[in-house]
Amino acid sequence: MGKIAIIGYHEVPTQINPERTRWDIAEEVIIGAVKNAGIDKDDVQGFINVAPQAQPDLISQTAFGLLPEHFGFKNVKDNVICNAGGASTTNCVRMAEQWITSGMCEVVLVPHITVQSDIPAEDLITFFAKAPMHQEWEFPFGMTFNGAMALITQRYMHETNSTEEEVASITHALRDWGARDPYSLFHNKPKSTEDVMGARMISTPLKSVECNMLADGGGCLVIASEEYAKKHCKNPVWKLGHGSDFLGGTPIVREDIFWREGYRKSCGEALAQANLSVEDIDIHEIYGAYPFTQASYLEANGICEPGEGARYHAAGHTKLGGKTPCTTIGDATGRGHTGSGVSMAFYCQVARQLRGEAGENQVEGAEKVMMVTSGGSGMNTLATIWGK
Amino acid sequence: MSDMKRPLPAISPESKPFWDAVQQDKLLVQHCNSCDTNIFYPRRICPECWSKDLGWVEAKGTGTIYSITTTYLGTTSEFTKELPIHVAYIDLDEGIRMASNVVGVGAESAKIGDRVEVEFVKANGDFKLPLFHLIEE
Repeated sequence: MGKIAIIGYHEVPTQINPERTRWDIAEEVIIGAVKNAGIDKDDVQGFINVAPQAQPDLISQTAFGLLPEHFGFKNVKDNVICNAGGASTTNCVRMAEQWITSGMCEVVLVPHITVQSDIPAEDLITFFAKAPMHQEWEFPFGMTFNGAMALITQRYMHETNSTEEEVASITHALRDWGARDPYSLFHNKPKSTEDVMGARMISTPLKSVECNMLADGGGCLVIASEEYAKKHCKNPVWKLGHGSDFLGGTPIVREDIFWREGYRKSCGEALAQANLSVEDIDIHEIYGAYPFTQASYLEANGICEPGEGARYHAAGHTKLGGKTPCTTIGDATGRGHTGSGVSMAFYCQVARQLRGEAGENQVEGAEKVMMVTSGGSGMNTLATIWGK
Repeated sequence: MSDMKRPLPAISPESKPFWDAVQQDKLLVQHCNSCDTNIFYPRRICPECWSKDLGWVEAKGTGTIYSITTTYLGTTSEFTKELPIHVAYIDLDEGIRMASNVVGVGAESAKIGDRVEVEFVKANGDFKLPLFHLIEE
C-alpha cells in the first residue's frame, strides 16, 4: 500500500488532428478522469498541470488557473504548472504526493493537453530542434534533438558491437505494441524490422520511424490520499517507490551518455523504497523517446548482460508474451509524441495494465510496474513503481 | 562553404574570448587556475570548485571523433542548403568534448575514432565557426 494512488484517469487517442482543440481535449480528459474515479468534482482540492511544450498561450492559461475556473471546481486550494520536459508528469505526481502527504489536499488533478498540429511545421521543427539543444555550443553546428540521439546511438552501436538491424528491432517491438493500441497514432500500423530499416534516413543511424512523430493528445490523472482512495475507489493503483537522478542538461558535457547510470541509480532507489527487486517487476515502461534508451534500461538494471540490450529486443523478449514486457505503450515511436505528454500517456497505461484494462496489450497477471521518464534531451531519469 | 548561413551562437560575456579567438583562427579552452581543470563549455565559475579564477589555454586543435552522425533531414531552414551535414562529438586532446562538424575530404566516410584537426570556417558573413577535417597520423 502506498501513500497515494491513481484513482482515475482518462486519455484521448494520440492523433494528428488540429480540429480537436486544446479545450476539446481539456474537457474530455478532465471530466473523463473525474468520472472514471467516480468522485464528486468538488472533492478535488488541487491542480498540478503538465506544461505543454511549444504552446505559450496554453502554458499561461494553465499556469494562471483557467482550468479549475473553467470547470467550476469549488474547493481547489492551489493551481500550478510544472515544466521538466518529458519528465513533467512524474514531477506533477510527486508534487501531488507532497500536497497530499502534507495534509493540504486529499485529491489532486494532474491534466495534460497538447495540440501541436495547428502550429506551422517550420515553427515546430525550430522549437524542437532548438529547445533541448544548447543555443551556443550545439545548435550552430546543426545539432538537433534527433541528431543528438543519433550520436548517442552511433556510439552505443560502436561500444556494444550492435548492428543497425538490432537497434531497428527495438522500434519494431515498440510499433508492435502500438499497433494493438487504439490510443496510438500507429494503431493497426505495425512495422517490421525490415520496414524500419527501409524508412528514410534522418540522422544516421536513425530513420524517420525511429524518431519522434509529433502529435496531439492529452490525459488526466486523479491522484488521491491512501485514506481517500481506500474509501472511494475499488481499484486504486498505488505508488510504491520513487527514484531520481539528474544526468546533465547538455548532451556534450554529460558523462552518462547512454543514461545507464541514471537508470541504475533511479530504479535502484525506487526498488529499495518499494522493498522490491527487479525480478518482482512484471512490466517495465520506459519513456526515453529514442530506441537506445530501451536497451540502456535493460542493461542498467541487470535484465540482460552489459551491451546486450539491443540484441535482447531483437530476440523478442520485450514484446507481448516475452519474458520481459517492456514499454507496452510503444514509447514515442510506437505512440506518437504529444510534446511533454508521452509521460502522461505512460501513466494512463500503468493504470490500465494494473487494472486489467489494457485490451490487446494486457500483460496477464501484471501486479508491479516500473516506469521511467526523462526530460529535455535526457537530463534526468525518474523512476516510479506502481502496484495494485 | 562560402554560402553558409548558419545561426550564430548566442555569445555571452564569459564565452566572448573563445569566439574572439576563433575569429583569429585560434581555439581556446577555458581553464580553472584554482583546480587546474579544463572546462567546456565556458562558464562564469568553475563547475568543479566554483572558483572564479578562470583563464584560457590555447588548444592544439586536434582531437578524436567520439561519435558522428550524418543528418539528412530535420534541421532548421538555415542548414537546408548544407544537407547532408556531418555532426560530431569531438574529444579534444585537452580532455574536453565539443560539438562540431566534420568537413572536407573524406567527411562522408568519417567514423568514430578518426583523428581530426580544427579549421576556422566563415559560417555566416564573416563570422567563423571551429569545424574539423580528417587528418592522417
